[in-house]
Amino acid sequence: MSLLKIIDLHKYFRENHVLKGINMEIKKGEVVVVIGPSGSGKSTLLRCINRLEEPDKGKIIIDGEIEITHPKADLNKIRQRIGMVFQQFNLFPHLTALQNITLAPIKVKKMPRDEAEALGMELLAKVGLADKAHEYPHQLSGGQQQRVAIARALAMNPEIMLFDEVTSALDPELVKEVLDVMKQLARDGMTMLVVTHEMGFAREVGDRIVFMDEGVIVEEGKPEKIFTDPQNERTRKFLSMIL
Amino acid sequence: MAGISQFDPQLFVKILPSLAYGAYITVKLTSISILLGLILGTILGMGRISKNPLFFSISTSYVEFIRGTPLLVQIMIVYYGLPAIGLNLPAEPAGILALTLNSGAYIAEIIRAGIQSVPKGQMEAARSLGMTYLQSMRYVIFPQAFRNVLPALGNEFIALLKDSSLLSVIAIAELTRVGKQIYSTTFNAWTPLLGVALFYLMMTLPLSRLVNYAQRRIGGHELA
Repeated sequence: MSLLKIIDLHKYFRENHVLKGINMEIKKGEVVVVIGPSGSGKSTLLRCINRLEEPDKGKIIIDGEIEITHPKADLNKIRQRIGMVFQQFNLFPHLTALQNITLAPIKVKKMPRDEAEALGMELLAKVGLADKAHEYPHQLSGGQQQRVAIARALAMNPEIMLFDEVTSALDPELVKEVLDVMKQLARDGMTMLVVTHEMGFAREVGDRIVFMDEGVIVEEGKPEKIFTDPQNERTRKFLSMIL
Repeated sequence: MAGISQFDPQLFVKILPSLAYGAYITVKLTSISILLGLILGTILGMGRISKNPLFFSISTSYVEFIRGTPLLVQIMIVYYGLPAIGLNLPAEPAGILALTLNSGAYIAEIIRAGIQSVPKGQMEAARSLGMTYLQSMRYVIFPQAFRNVLPALGNEFIALLKDSSLLSVIAIAELTRVGKQIYSTTFNAWTPLLGVALFYLMMTLPLSRLVNYAQRRIGGHELA
């Protein structure tokens, strides 16, 4: 059974039809990588899944039962099950790395502070930043900030993680440390939906590649298939431009 | 006409305690009003950016009404107008109410600017973790917004401190009123009024220094 199911999803920004009927299923433990030119609707798709954007038509179902897109859906509950990491990190600048991680568990899950801090330290260790617990975001490099952001999302113990071009704002030498954390996460069995331009990562970690262009899924399949033998002309053209 | 030579050092020393007490009343009323105004302004400021059309239009109309009418008129409405509809307030509470209603509107605009100075991604990150709108505001947006608008709030406090002199028209014994009373009993204008001005300066100068310092610390962000 699929963990996440997207059925005929549409999204408009005024007259601009950015998602034109997306259908997608993600199984538990699967790593799905979405690639495609900018403006193809990849980020919008991700942002519709936790309803940071309101889809105009279609359904998104998590766990086979809960309809995220239902008008009366309990979004705050649902969002706890879906972790999200942003291109711009969006760490809370007035809080330390550890406080960034513990805020939501303490305020949303009502976790006792010491328990939340133990969890926070554990997660910081997991992303290799145990020694930075009490630093503020501006004292950290971009790569370190993004790893804290990943730890922050993991602290809510989500069932699926959404990654929205999380290395695009990083200096080239900082990309690897973030991708390494994501690889480890994938190996640990996390279900992941990743929008990225890092084709090496897509190929190595992705269970399935989805190529999007102009608001539709043009082609999808195993990485080796997509990268070596794409069937669609648009996929071929896109890959020839970036590889 | 003796003019400025009217200034009477002996009288000046004699009236210092009265002026100091008047200054105390001025600071007291202004401080209470700015604190209450901060609560009112925070609610109205949220209204000014609310997607709820009712909350938005009530807040916006309120802010426009207050900012478009003189404080003196507002004070008189509260003090002379409210009793006509059965709400009879003594002078000091009426004064505090008028100053609160007034500063609330100006603070609302400061808070609105402060909230809007926080990048959109902050709210998105907070919501994506499952925090409610109010939790996100309280723990993520407000601490950043408040820090950004601290200098603007300081300036509002200074402005309100000076404007509170208008409360003299409803017989509150604040600094200006005390000066006026001394004038009307001694017929010496220069001594009490210079004293009054000096007391205002002694309060506003250190405050504006503090605001300037805070502004430099924050990096001089321009905020409305």
